[in-house]
Parts: sequence; structure tokens; C-alpha cells
Amino acid sequence: MKVLRGLFLWACVLAVVLPLLWVVLGSFKPSLQVIADPWGLPSPFKPQNYREAWTEAAIGTGFLNSLIVTLTTLLILLPIGAMASYVLARFKFWGRTFIANTFLAGMMFPVFLVMIPLFLLMRTLGLTNSLGGLIIVYVAYSLSFTIFVLQGFFQAIPVELEEASLLDGCSESALFWRVMLPIAKPGLIVVGIFNAIGLWNEYGLALVLMTEKSQRTLPLAIADLSQTQQYQADYGALFAALVIVMVPLLILYWFIKDRLKESMLAGSLKG
Amino acid sequence: MQRRPGWFIAGFLAPALLLYVGLVLFPLQQAVQISFFQWRGTSSVVKPAGTANYQQVVRDPVFYEALGNNAWMAVVVGLVVFAVAMLAAHALKKRDRPAKILDALVLVPMAVSSVVAALLWQFMFHPQMGPVPELQKMLGLGEFQSGWLATPATALPAVGVALAWLSIGFYVVLFGAGMQQIPGEVMESADMDGIPGWAKFWRITWPLLWTVRRTAVIYWFISVMNTFAIVYLMTKGGPDHRTEVMLTYLYITAVENSQYGYGSALAVVNLVLVLAISGLLMWLMRRDPAEARA
Amino acid sequence: MNRPFIWKLGIVSLAAVAAFGCAPVGTETSTGKPDPAGAGTAAPAADAKLAGNLEVQAFKGGFGIDFYEAALAEFGEKHPELKTKIEGDPRVWERLKPRMVAGDTPDLMFPGWGMDHWSLIADNQLMPLDAALDSPADGAEGTWRDQFLPDMLKIGQVDGKTYLLPLYVNLNGWWYDKAVFDKNGWKPPTNFAELKTLCAAVKAKGMAPITYQGKYPYYMIHGMLLPWAYSVGGADAMKAVQNLEPGAWKSDSMLQAAKMIVELRDLGYFQKGATAMSHTESQAEFVIGRAAMIPCGTWLYSEMKDNLTDKNQLTFFLPPPVEGGKGDPSALIVSIEPWMVPAKAKNPEAALAFYKYMTSPAKAAQFVSEKNTLTAIKGSESGIKLDVLRQPAALFAASKDAWAWQVRDWYKPLHTEIENALTSMLNGELTPEQFVERCEKAAEATRNDPNIAKRTL
Repeated sequence: MKVLRGLFLWACVLAVVLPLLWVVLGSFKPSLQVIADPWGLPSPFKPQNYREAWTEAAIGTGFLNSLIVTLTTLLILLPIGAMASYVLARFKFWGRTFIANTFLAGMMFPVFLVMIPLFLLMRTLGLTNSLGGLIIVYVAYSLSFTIFVLQGFFQAIPVELEEASLLDGCSESALFWRVMLPIAKPGLIVVGIFNAIGLWNEYGLALVLMTEKSQRTLPLAIADLSQTQQYQADYGALFAALVIVMVPLLILYWFIKDRLKESMLAGSLKG
Repeated sequence: MQRRPGWFIAGFLAPALLLYVGLVLFPLQQAVQISFFQWRGTSSVVKPAGTANYQQVVRDPVFYEALGNNAWMAVVVGLVVFAVAMLAAHALKKRDRPAKILDALVLVPMAVSSVVAALLWQFMFHPQMGPVPELQKMLGLGEFQSGWLATPATALPAVGVALAWLSIGFYVVLFGAGMQQIPGEVMESADMDGIPGWAKFWRITWPLLWTVRRTAVIYWFISVMNTFAIVYLMTKGGPDHRTEVMLTYLYITAVENSQYGYGSALAVVNLVLVLAISGLLMWLMRRDPAEARA
Repeated sequence: MNRPFIWKLGIVSLAAVAAFGCAPVGTETSTGKPDPAGAGTAAPAADAKLAGNLEVQAFKGGFGIDFYEAALAEFGEKHPELKTKIEGDPRVWERLKPRMVAGDTPDLMFPGWGMDHWSLIADNQLMPLDAALDSPADGAEGTWRDQFLPDMLKIGQVDGKTYLLPLYVNLNGWWYDKAVFDKNGWKPPTNFAELKTLCAAVKAKGMAPITYQGKYPYYMIHGMLLPWAYSVGGADAMKAVQNLEPGAWKSDSMLQAAKMIVELRDLGYFQKGATAMSHTESQAEFVIGRAAMIPCGTWLYSEMKDNLTDKNQLTFFLPPPVEGGKGDPSALIVSIEPWMVPAKAKNPEAALAFYKYMTSPAKAAQFVSEKNTLTAIKGSESGIKLDVLRQPAALFAASKDAWAWQVRDWYKPLHTEIENALTSMLNGELTPEQFVERCEKAAEATRNDPNIAKRTL
């Protein structure tokens, strides 16, 4: 049994690591070698792929824009999402389940269905090609998942805590910001991480709303590169670009993985 | 103490609700309206179509095939994902070296984009160089004339494998978290009673994981119904619709074939089905089975 | 938790019913009558000074957009009052579609393969360009229309009105590597019987005779199905298919072509796994020498050039015709990727003047020499620099029938169905007879659908 378990675990590790190693390996190869000799070592070793990927697609700007957009979205999304989830989770009022289910429904349809009506709306509001416009769209479309998860966390908090604070003369608002929100921190971390991953990789909405080169986010820059590379069949540079996109997420993940696990433990299981 | 928090509630809900209604529901309602028209998507010219699009959906064999593929992924791939995730979560309870390493890596596939995953798995099944066909040849099982991704019988399972690879990490963590919540005393008393490993898992751990199971099932179902990128990039729904899922069919219909009205109708039907089945699942799993029995 | 879901369902259905009949915001209902468009804008005299803004949007593919950018800069110098802007993207149509819907269009656009040009025409979104074509050319004698090869212009015309203008022209054929063939003493086949003999020899050598881009069946359609159907049945048979005439698919020509494909498969002459391969994968297989021949357009060289070694000698040849067929053996299939002027363009004069400049003989020849492709402008082949282009140019010049497969542009759902049927036939799920039957049914459905605009050759 022990041996089986060990084998199983190592198999899992390989299943995760090998494919990624292959991408990294390929990113240093001259293009045709990626196809012709996929498992071999790069020959010649071609780190220029990274420089090509970086300069060809103006990835620096894309990187910066993505960073700004992702962080700002989270800064807005988490508070207002938490506020809404808190109220939906712990108060009874008319229309509560209806509103909760309305938010839930947002997870159930594909974004490209509404792409064109959304574009027309943003045009009317004058918010295309602006990072601010993209940010509020991202916030709106991330609310469903955020509220779904945070509701569970807020529901799990014992009522006694509430009663104790209120008895102490706490206002509803203070109760939320000073007591409830800190307790729900694990939930915020979970939701923050998962949203960050999705936002970082988001392509469809950014493509339609951001047409100016200076406003492009990282996935757009990468896609431009990969599409152009597809036409010129430069797999090496394409893989380099993919690694560039993956690395920030992997770094982030490395730093928060333990906290992430703790957080998923606490309360993501209710609701 | 009576709390009359009406304004408080409204104030706390307002920002999220306003953004949501304005930027999500409003375009969604327009998209639903489009399903009652014929629209090519290249201009603002539309032609009223009444319920013709919906009638066409009901008569469309590809719609049923796509739905069947979604169902297959949900059930078959789902079972595999859950089984492997449970096993892994269980195996990870002992904190030795392989466990710590896997623990650190398990969410990585989720963090890389679908583009990477699709490219990767396309390569894994590459007819000339991919490891899977190589293994197949080594085991003396020959090779496919059309390759794994274009042979009718193997295309969907191949895509299913890629989807599983992407998704499993999340469930390993979820189940692991659930298992850690089970009070230590329960497990210890089972050990003391001399209950062997498998029985212990089945009769004690499994029932206590019901909230986790419920979240997992619903989340898995919704994500399968919304699967698009990995299928589209690996097979475009081919060969001949064998890997077509609701969203790839919708995309090809609307965006590639300029039939936005019909595509919107497909999307609305998809939305209604997802709502209905999620509701059903939530209702079926509403009560703690242990409580019900007690 | 279940009751609210039922409420939700109810509300969604009510809302849907309520929306019945109301046009979505920002759309106009079509009157169903074609817009009696005027003759369009005449381009101004060549030396008139232009002013205002000129916005150009272009597809950024294998040829990039640097040529257009440079041309626009040169053009801008001649018209200092004109403010010019050009943008390109590999998926530029995804940005252009919402703009077309919103009515905020560029002045000149080259949307690329992802845009449905014929839907734009059906929705009256494009300007007819005949008046401009009949105006004097830039940098040459005669009218602008005279500069173009007439067959290429015909592709973008409806009822005698021209909406789409070509720039570069792709020929569809097959490729082989002369270095590999010379080494083995092989010759490119000139008819189907020779093809089979050649394939047997190649297979004996342990190389796959033919590979193809199975993930995108249109390559095989352009490279095998259509040329062979043409070869058997001649131009009339193909015209019947393109005009959706009843029974056109069940003619001998299509059935024969399908059978020929199946025959090659059954003899084992197709590379294993080709049906799953993308274009980059199969083309790479060809370039590294694991397959001897591949159907592909003349863009193959540009697409793969960074991966070629000195040893490669890629050579283009026509799909080997059937001996004794009705179709002219010099016929070939061309495709264009057109430029056009939106009906709502704010500065169509500048747009057309610029395009006239880019299609002048000197610029066209420059395009040929820089990008290694043929263009639709007469005399541009003087710019050919690379040997790899001479063969296609010669075949193009000598061809008695250079035609385009317009079903793919006119009837997209039909073409998707043909592609799917072809894949199923390759997988052995359909016999050739069942394949043509399925295509015939799809053609009939298209013919009977009043919502699909019909075109005739």
C-alpha cells in the first residue's frame, strides 16, 4: 500500500511538471527544432527567443497594463464584493435569494455572447480604450464568482460574535469592517488569488475594448505575438512568450500557496 | 435587539448590484433579444425571426450531440477527476517528501492559461512525436490513421484528459481541506475500533465530506458547461462534431458563420439548462445525508 | 434553494417573451430591399491635394503591415494636409466587427480571413467602387480598372458592382522539395496515375508520400477535392456547384474526386495522423522531410522561411489532374484577401487614392519583391526576386482558367458542413457516395433558406 501511494504521488508530480518543463525547454530552442526534436536539448541554445518575444510584442507595456488592471480590479472588487456577500449571507430581507441567484447566474453564460452589446454600451459611455473602462468591466464580470465564494465564508461565522459586538455598541458598519471582514480574510485570499489568475489571463474582453497599442494588456500582446508567430511558425519565440506570461503567476502562487490552502480550509465548504 | 438595517443593506449591496446590472445584465438582456432575430454581426441590420431560432435549436442534431458531449465530460471525466482528487487528497495527508512536493505543485496547471494547456496536450497526442502515440506503439497497440485528436472514438477522451489535467488541482485542494476539517477524534476512534483503511474512508470520511462534495459537483458542472478554450484550441469541435461542446458550437455558429441570432438562441438554451440542472443538483444535495438518516 | 431557481427561470422566460418583437438597442430593422446604392465615390484626380483624416486598418499576417505603413508614409508626404493613421493586428476583424455594427468605421480596411466580407455586402456596409475604378490610374496609362487582372476583379463583384479589391493573390496547389526528389530520382507527377506510382516509390523509401492539414479541411478541399472535380467535370461542373444547382454534388465530377481521395488513403499514401494536424504541424513535417508532398497555397514559403535550411528547395506544382478529364489541365484555384471601403467611411476619396497608389505598377512590383507573393496587378511579376516564386508565376500566367472557390465565402454554414463531411469520409465513417449525398443535402438546405443571400457566378 505504501509503495502504491508513493508511486501514485510521484506520478502526479510528473504529470504536472513534465509538460511545463517541455514548454520551458522549447522556449530555448530554434523554432524548427521544437517540432523536429521535441525532447532533445536545445541546440543551439537560443535565449534570443525571449528577447524577440519581449520586443516584438512590446510586452513591457502589456505587462505594466496588466499589472495595473489586475491590481486595481482586485482593489475595487474585493471590498464591494465582500460588502454584498456579507449582506446576502447574514441578513434576511425581501428579494435576498432572488438577488443572490441573479449574481450566481452570471457565472453561467459565456462572455463572448455579450461581447458586441457590451462593446456598444462601452462606446456609448466613452469608456473603450481606457484602463478604467476595462477595470470596471472586469469588476462587474468577476462579481458572480466572488460573491458565490464569499457568501459561504460569511455564512460560516458564528452568530455569537455578531451579538457580542452589537451589545458592545458597535454600528453595523463598524461590525463589518472591524470584526467580520478580518475573520473572512481567508475567503478574501482565496477569491483574490483565483480572480487574479483569471484577470491576468483574460483575453476576450480586453481584445474588443482595448484597441490602442498603448492600452493593451499582456494577453493581447502575447496573442499578437503568437498569432504572428504562427504565421511565421516561430515556435521558439512563442514558447518564450508563454513562459513570460506564466512566470508571474507561478511566482505569486509560490508565495501564497500555503495561505491559500489554509484559506480554502476555513469555510469554503459551506453553502 | 431589533436591527433595522434597511439602509445599511441597500448601501452595501448598491455598488456591486449597480455595476452588475449595468454591465452584465443589460448586455445579457440585449443578447437574449438578439436570439429573436436574424443578425449577421457585421452591421446593425437585423431581421425579426420570432421563435424560429429556438425551433431550429430543437430540431438541430448538432445541438444534441454537443449537449451529449458536455454530459459525457461532466459525468465520465467528472468521476475520474473526483476519484483521482480524492485519492490524492487522502494520500497527501501524510506529510512526507513526495507529498510536500505535490502539494506545492498541485495548483500549477490551473494557473497556466488554456492556451498553454491546449498546446501542450496537442503535442502530447501528436501523431509523429507525442508521448501518448509513442507509448501506444511501444505497447504494440499500433497507431491511429487519424491520430488521437481526429479519430472519432478517441477525440473526446483525449480532450477530456486535457480538461482533467487542468482541473484536478482545485479539487485536490478542496477535498484535502474538507478532510482536514474532520475532527481528529473521529478518525482516532475509528482506528481504535480497528476499522481497516478502505472501510474507514467509505463509512466515515466520505459521508462527512458532503458539503465539499456538493460544492465540488456544482462547480464542476458549471465549469464543464462553460468549457470552451481547451476544446476549441485542440480540436475545434472536430472530427465532425465528435468533440463539439455547447460553447464551441455557439462560437462557430455566431462568430465564424455569422449567425448571431441562432448563436444567441443556443446560448440562452444553454443558460436555462445550466440554471435548471444546477438548481436540481442543489436540491438533490440539500441535506446532510447523515442527518437525514439519523 | 430550488424555488428561487424556478422563479429565475420564470423571469428569464417572461423577459424573453417581453423582448419578442422589440429590436435590440442600437439596431435598425432591415427593410429587406437592397439599397439602391449609387455608383460610389469617384477617386479624385491624381494630383488633387487631399485633406482630413485617413484611417486604415489592416490584417497583420504573414506579410506583416510594414509595406502598408511605408506606403502610407510616402502617400502622406504627397498630401501634407492629410492626417494618416494605420493599425494592424493578426485578428483585426475582431475589432472591426463591433465598429461596423456601431457605424464607426475606418476609411480603408483589409479585415482579413476572419471577417465575413459577403455579409458586409449583404448588409450594404461597403461602398461600390466602380466609379473609382473607371477613373485614371496612378502612375500608368488607362483607367485604374485596367491595372487589375480582370478575373481577379470579378471575384469581388456582385451584379456587376465591385465591392472588394484584391492586392495579393494566392495560388492553390501542391509543394514538394526538389532537393529530396532529385536525391531519390523522383519527378513531380503530371497526372493522377503518375501520382500513384510516385507515392508507391516514396512509401517504399519509408517516407510518407502525402501529408495534409487535417484540422483545417479547407486545405484538402482546395488542394484535392476541387481540383480533381474540376479536372473530371470541367468549369461547368464547378459552376453548377457554386451556383447551388440541384444535383450538382451528385455529378460524376465530385464523386470521382471523393473516390480518388479515398483511394489514396486506402493505399496508405497519407501520413498517419495527418487528419489531426494543424497547418504548422503538417507543414513542419513536410519541411523536415518526413513527408514528400503537401497541398498548400503559395504562402507556404513565406510562412516557413525561417525554418528552412540551405538544403530545402521548396517547389510549387499544380495538383496532378486526371488524364482525359474535361477540365483544362492548366486551370488553378486562386484566392484573394480583399481590401474595401466601408459605406460609412468619412474620407473615401483619400482611402481610394491611397489604395490606387498602393496598386500602382511600381508599388505592386515592390510588394512582389519584398513579400514573395503574386499580386492581381498586371506586370507586377517584374518584381519577382526569388526562384521559388517563378514557378507559380509561370503557371499563373499560362493558366487558361484561374478561378476562385467562392462557396467558402458566400455560404459559410454550408462550407462547414462540407468540411465536417470530408473529415468523416477520411475517417471511414462515410463512403464517397454518402459524402456527396451529405453535401448535396446541405446545398439544398442552403438553397431553400430565404435568409441566406444567394450569389451566382
